[in-house]
Amino acid sequence: MTNLKVDVTNLKKNFGDNHVLKGVNFKVADNEVVVLIGPSGSGKSTLLRCLNRLESPTSGKIIIDGRDISDPKTDIDLARQNIGMVFQHFNLFNNLTVGENIELAPVELGKLSKEEAAQQGKKLLKAVGLEDKFSAMPQSLSGGQKQRVAIARALAMKPDIMLFDEPTSALDPEMVGDVLEVMKKLAKEGMTMVVVTHEMGFAKEVADRVVFMADGKVVEEGQPEQVFDHPQNVRTKAFLDKVINV
Amino acid sequence: MKKHFVALCLLFAAFFAVLVGKQSQVQAKTYTIGTDVTFPPFVYANSHNKYVGIDMELIRTIAKTEGFKIKIKPVGFNAAVQGVSSGQFDGIISGMTITKEREKTFQFSTPYYESGIVMAVAPKSNIKSLKDLKGKRVAVKTGTQGATYANSLKKKYGFKTVTFDDSDNMYNDVKTGNSAACFDDSAVLNYGVRTGLGLKIVTKPADIGKYGFAVKRGHNQKLMKMFNAGLAKLKKNGKYEQIIKKYTGQSATSAKKKANEKKDDASNTFAGLIKENYQAILTGLLETIKLTVVSIICATIFGILVGLLGVIPNKFSQGLSTTIIYIFRGLPLLVLALFIYNGVPSLTGSKIPAFVAGIITLTLNEGAYTAAFVKGGIDAVDSGQMEAARSLGLSFGKAMRKVVLPQGIKIMIPSFINQFIITLKDTSILSIIGILELTQTGKIIIARNLQGFRVWTIIAVIYLVIITILTLLSKWIERRIND
Ligand SMILES: Nc1ncnc2c1ncn2[C@@H]1O[C@H](COP(=O)(O)OP(=O)(O)OP(=O)(O)O)[C@@H](O)[C@H]1O
Ligand SMILES: [Mg+2]
Repeated sequence: MTNLKVDVTNLKKNFGDNHVLKGVNFKVADNEVVVLIGPSGSGKSTLLRCLNRLESPTSGKIIIDGRDISDPKTDIDLARQNIGMVFQHFNLFNNLTVGENIELAPVELGKLSKEEAAQQGKKLLKAVGLEDKFSAMPQSLSGGQKQRVAIARALAMKPDIMLFDEPTSALDPEMVGDVLEVMKKLAKEGMTMVVVTHEMGFAKEVADRVVFMADGKVVEEGQPEQVFDHPQNVRTKAFLDKVINV
Repeated sequence: MKKHFVALCLLFAAFFAVLVGKQSQVQAKTYTIGTDVTFPPFVYANSHNKYVGIDMELIRTIAKTEGFKIKIKPVGFNAAVQGVSSGQFDGIISGMTITKEREKTFQFSTPYYESGIVMAVAPKSNIKSLKDLKGKRVAVKTGTQGATYANSLKKKYGFKTVTFDDSDNMYNDVKTGNSAACFDDSAVLNYGVRTGLGLKIVTKPADIGKYGFAVKRGHNQKLMKMFNAGLAKLKKNGKYEQIIKKYTGQSATSAKKKANEKKDDASNTFAGLIKENYQAILTGLLETIKLTVVSIICATIFGILVGLLGVIPNKFSQGLSTTIIYIFRGLPLLVLALFIYNGVPSLTGSKIPAFVAGIITLTLNEGAYTAAFVKGGIDAVDSGQMEAARSLGLSFGKAMRKVVLPQGIKIMIPSFINQFIITLKDTSILSIIGILELTQTGKIIIARNLQGFRVWTIIAVIYLVIITILTLLSKWIERRIND
């Protein structure tokens, strides 16, 4: 399978005695958008963070773009340049302006000159609808604006794949739409994406596949209509009932 | 990042090596002699801040006739004794009584003076003999024969002793009435009383002892031979008598008393005191500033390195950092200073100049505090900042330098300013190893003129002034960093 972007086999992760991932198999194809859902504590964030080794796996294999992420000898800094990540709490660099946030990695890693990076930064900001915020400090932005800057910052490294960990959960409801809009556009442009989210509407509209995790395992997966409308597993059903009732 | 780190460490080590190497080379040719300059008429500083007295005149004259050079280290009696036994100094001449106990460690010259221990009380006190001391407090000076004598009698006569580091504080405690009496060398007290010390002697000399020049047993044999030969010559040709007369004779003491009384007008005013001791205070102040500046630089570099070691994701380096902080923050500064100055040389056999020992002491101690808040400052930066930077592909070092440190430093700045001020104040503790900084200078001036209150006021004001300057400077730098 040459067009496989992510190939995770039998991934296990323990935090001490806490077995958080208990043998996860997880694949993502090129240009595919996968939405990861599941109850709190089921291990969604942990799986995502293993993909760029913010957490190092206890055992199992993780291949991304042909690189063995789970191998400690792999140059992880190099691998991460192609894996963008967007966090629930944005994590914009507070000591830098919006523009510098976006320019930092490409310049420091020798991808672009300072001028090129600035040009690219302005273009990316325009794409997320914030071209006037180039010189602003992160503290002066709203949550929704911060998250769009964070997406622009991740895109500045021209990654092949983007990981989103609940990108809208920390936002006021009226901000959620703007961020989802940016993500939809990204999906349409063919970005490979793994998204942890409770936004079922987004999942239905954009996802190629929905993966349901519970208790450290992938319990069910399939096309959105199939998982949402005809869940096979009882736990999937119970979870969806709860989420939709809320 | 790693490369820079190693380079910095090397630079740091080299800096110390140069400091140590340079200073010990300079001292190789002359004999260093430890003494206590608060012990007139044997050793004291005159109004030109030159060290004079029987002991000083003797050793200088002998050095001249026997053809060797000396360097006087006015470190206080305790530090001088320890300094000789640890090999920091070659000899000690400081009104030191020859005892069996001391002969285990030291080798003494032919005695050059005979003296006993007497008790002195405040002028209006009605204490007349040892019997009157029951239940009272008695002041003594650490490590002196007077202290040994007092301690041997305290059970029998039922008094308590309180120990001081120098004579002036001991006398003052008696004058203020905190202590009922003090025990000291008869020659010293006689001299003091006759020159207007303001105490009276109530006992006959007891526990007669002989004073000798001392070297460490088995060391500096040549120096000892020369001293004995020189002393014999001086006794023969009458110079010895002259020197003793010069400092204890009626004419000497009454002249000094007159001088003291005349000077009282001048010494009674702050302006007079400053004018009189201007040179000495300035030299002390300069030494304090030198100590402060060098230690702040060294401690800051050392502290940042150790602090960074503590945040690198590596168990060994974190453990190392924690251990360094634990040890050097835990040790009292005084103990650390004495350990480095006296303890380490007796182990390794090589001398450390007091200034260098002082810098190392402050670097380790203040550096440990610095390391702790550097670590704390970095830890206080949200871990999401590091994660976001790493997720973009930046290395740990780059993420640290570009994202985490700039935020951490802002958190640390107030702690840095605070630490600078503490460092300045802590230099005063280094007077214990005899560095002639501001505090030690104050002690020496007071030993001569007994103007404790005024001199300490002047010294305190000087400290406040430089602390204010240091604070303003730091605040200015803080503003520039924050902009
Ligand atoms: N660094 C860590 N150290 C110890 N335990 C951890 C750590 N990170 C996560 N865990 C534990 O792992 C389990 C799974 O956490 P994870 O964050 O992956 O769940 P999640 O599915 O993302 O949940 P949520 O929807 O609440 O974000 C939890 O029990 C959590 O306490
Ligand atoms: Mg999570």
